[in-house]
Amino acid sequence: MLKALWNGFPLRAVRAFVAHPWVQRGFVLATLGLFVYAAWTGLVWAPPDREMGDVQRIMYAHVPMVQMMLLAGTINFVCSVLYLFHASWKTDALAEASAEVTLVFGAIGTTLGAIWGRPTWGVYWAWDPRLTTVAILLVAYAGYMALRRFVDDPERRAVWSAVTGIIIAVDVPIIYFSVKWWKSLHQVQSSPRTVDPQMVHALRLSIGAFFMLLIVFLVVRYRIALAARMRETTVPEGRQLGREAVAS
Amino acid sequence: MNTLGTVLAAVGEGRIQGGWEYVKAAYGICWTGLSLYALSLFIRSRRSEEGK
Repeated sequence: MLKALWNGFPLRAVRAFVAHPWVQRGFVLATLGLFVYAAWTGLVWAPPDREMGDVQRIMYAHVPMVQMMLLAGTINFVCSVLYLFHASWKTDALAEASAEVTLVFGAIGTTLGAIWGRPTWGVYWAWDPRLTTVAILLVAYAGYMALRRFVDDPERRAVWSAVTGIIIAVDVPIIYFSVKWWKSLHQVQSSPRTVDPQMVHALRLSIGAFFMLLIVFLVVRYRIALAARMRETTVPEGRQLGREAVAS
Repeated sequence: MNTLGTVLAAVGEGRIQGGWEYVKAAYGICWTGLSLYALSLFIRSRRSEEGK
């Protein structure tokens, strides 16, 4: 590690530092620690809302989950575009990882929103523009993951997935702006600028914790996807020997 | 009387009473879901390293 630090500063040094197992374990532990602290600030330290009371504490999990869903969806879009311009198994693997993480964060975040909606709106679900566009995104990414499973040829799968990812990404800005464009049941998105100063600290901590968790999930899932691509595209040794034997 | 007064005052302000069961359900689903996904990643990661 020290040799790499000396030879290739700064990019190689950063890569060597990040790739070190103890740094990665430390990052996971820091994520868990921040998660616990953020949960404590949201559930205990922050004051209840003037109108929603304690129910509003769901915001500290729901808002960061949906934000990470949109961020992972954006990463999928960028990887999809990059793959079509410069085909690489790394961008394809990151696209697969980000799509799955989008689905996980989106499904849980939407469930939390439904639970928050019951005491505040009176219903778990309404066909409000924000909820409808999120539902479309989740169904679309479920289809995207199914597509990746059904196509056997890795190159064809990567191209089709990239095109599908770009089409799905059209929904991401629509979700973000839906509450401003249509002004329906769902309130305008909560952010540190729109909530009470006493709640800002807890919200920022939660966003930080979920962001770190997103990085952990993306990195682990990316490695799994990349290893699968390598296994698919590497010709087995036995088959190579067989070809040589036929040729000779 | 004090308790009743507090409740009535809160109702007068239009504040939702209680609601902790929703908060517990939401955080329970959130933590359980994320933990299960982390577990699935861990298992798949191990399988991937073994080359299965």
